[in-house]
Amino acid sequence: MVRFMITLWLAKLAMWVYKLRGRERDDRPGLLAIKLCPDFLRRIKKPPLVIAITGTNGKSTTSALINNKLVAEGLRVSFNDWGANLYAGFALNLMRCVNIFNGCRYDASVLEADERTLDVSMGQIEPDYILVTNICKDSLRRNGHPEYIFDIVERTFNMLGKKTKAVLNANDPISSQLAQNNERVYYSVADFGPQPFENIVRDIEVCPYCGARIEYNYRLYRHIGDFYCPNCGFKTPPARYEATEVDLAARTMTVNEEGAWQQYPLISDAVYNVYNVLGFVALMRELGRPAAELADFLRTQQVTKIRETCVEFNGIKYYTYGAKSQNVSAASTVFEYMAKEPSTKDVVLLMDELQDKNHPPETLTWLYETDFEFLNSPNIRKIIVGGHMYLNHRLRLLLAGIPPEKIVCVEDEADIVEHVDREGIEKVYVLFEIDFVSKARRLRDSIVERAKEEAAK
Amino acid sequence: MKRIEVLFPDFCNIYGEAYNIEYLRRCAPEQLEIIRTDNHTEPAFVHSDVDMIYLGATTERKQEQIINILRPYKERIRELIEGDVIFLVTGNALEIFGCYIRDGEREIEALGLFDFYAERYMDRDRHNSQMIGTYNGLAMLGHKSQFSFAYGDFDDCFIEVQKGIGMNPKTMREGIHVHNFFATYSLGPFLILNPYFTKELLARLGLEERLCFEKEAIEAYEYRLAELKRTMK
Repeated sequence: MVRFMITLWLAKLAMWVYKLRGRERDDRPGLLAIKLCPDFLRRIKKPPLVIAITGTNGKSTTSALINNKLVAEGLRVSFNDWGANLYAGFALNLMRCVNIFNGCRYDASVLEADERTLDVSMGQIEPDYILVTNICKDSLRRNGHPEYIFDIVERTFNMLGKKTKAVLNANDPISSQLAQNNERVYYSVADFGPQPFENIVRDIEVCPYCGARIEYNYRLYRHIGDFYCPNCGFKTPPARYEATEVDLAARTMTVNEEGAWQQYPLISDAVYNVYNVLGFVALMRELGRPAAELADFLRTQQVTKIRETCVEFNGIKYYTYGAKSQNVSAASTVFEYMAKEPSTKDVVLLMDELQDKNHPPETLTWLYETDFEFLNSPNIRKIIVGGHMYLNHRLRLLLAGIPPEKIVCVEDEADIVEHVDREGIEKVYVLFEIDFVSKARRLRDSIVERAKEEAAK
Repeated sequence: MKRIEVLFPDFCNIYGEAYNIEYLRRCAPEQLEIIRTDNHTEPAFVHSDVDMIYLGATTERKQEQIINILRPYKERIRELIEGDVIFLVTGNALEIFGCYIRDGEREIEALGLFDFYAERYMDRDRHNSQMIGTYNGLAMLGHKSQFSFAYGDFDDCFIEVQKGIGMNPKTMREGIHVHNFFATYSLGPFLILNPYFTKELLARLGLEERLCFEKEAIEAYEYRLAELKRTMK
């Protein structure tokens, strides 16, 4: 206990120093706390409500909605919204909630949690709820494969037992099988006809119980849908919260909650965001928030700016749009969205991974797991790629059947600007690896500046 | 017509491995028949002739299932190897052909066709690395991302590593090459990564050494090779 208290004071002091320097989001004080006191996360007092959101895709969006709602209610909420979703980030997050005597002064903590380390972190924090958005293929370098991640998350639930309630996506054949020994509640989406493309690699192909090929009554994207095994009883579990009517164009969904119906606004027209909003609704309903109140709240929400920004010039909309590169499920889903979003567009790929700087030319595997084939769409006029992987991208795009005249691959990313069309298109999307939020905005702004210079001539 | 059997594509396509055979097919679309054998079907190689067999990287659970599926055909596989049938085995699939895989306290008996064993380290960070080596005068590239390493003498290695690691961090010997059996820990689209080796494979199949998008594939390879030579320690 003495060790913990001294650690808390030192880490709090470090927090204060960093805050004075305008770096209050730097998670090094949290790192210090973990180093000095390895069970810091267990010992620190938690707020009355702790919610963890994990999964391969959708954690940031879902956790932002949860945080925003709790804050809108006037609660004091600590939220690791700066992407620090590992031990140090959790430590910093929870340190904000306590005073120097380890007395809790916050009402809630919302933790976006990395799934790779969930067992160690959540085993100590013991959250009241864990919402698992999905388990999909992710970076092989760190996350290996979905079975490996499933085992970690399942181990977490087994450790927590009845302390933690699981909120799960019933339409995911992988994560829906979690928490068999915990209290759990499901959400699902009915078929609304999005007609998903076929992926070259599926996140799960065969039944985890008998090995037969998984079939679908309908699929909504990737491996997410109403699944069943033709050989055994493995199938989509019944959901307490089912989105029965989804209208992406109108951005609404109607949720059937055990016979009670409520319409909710959506925050975007992407299929995956239906699940993010529905996950939020399910969790909030479990917390007892009135459905109509949630619907009113959702009208005020939009996709987080980390993921998407837009500026307009001369009738063309210029977007930055988070795609995550080596996370092949996210990249493929975004490529599918690019094809289905009907505007005529140029697509810029800024997707080489910053974290691979220690392995200079990052692995090619993600290129051949990701559905570049989806970009072979009439509404995509040009695909522009820059950086040291440009020749690998060119080969992959050619193998994906993209006509050579649509492909521009340049070694120097700075040259991308010159190749973006300035007429004959409605939109430009800069698809960026999530580490490149600022870089993507700078590139997008350079593209806009170049368009302005041209227009001024 | 040459016949290539892809074993258990539902199990063994976790890092884009399927593109190895897709690329070969694109190189000689009229001359290749691709047989995809799932985990509930008896492999074609058991009762008929195939010219090449491909087995890709897989998850640890499925790796054990594959061992059990292939165990009854162990002697047939040995016969095919000795009969110069081409095998391409990538990623942790190569462990299936060793003696056993150790996973903590567990020892999983493998096919025992080659004299080595593997050890999994599931509680450690995953090993990730790039590799440059040589095979038959060709500069070979590879990338590894794995929870396990293999241990043995590896006198019949496939690639002599120059930069990077071999079957484990203490050896520069990588993979297995016996007759036409090629196995490597390098995973993903190995044939796209190594276009000159792909040409050799086409030649071993008795096909014309012409690649799909050959110019682009070789330019990407040359650039990557130069970059790796420059940046790897």
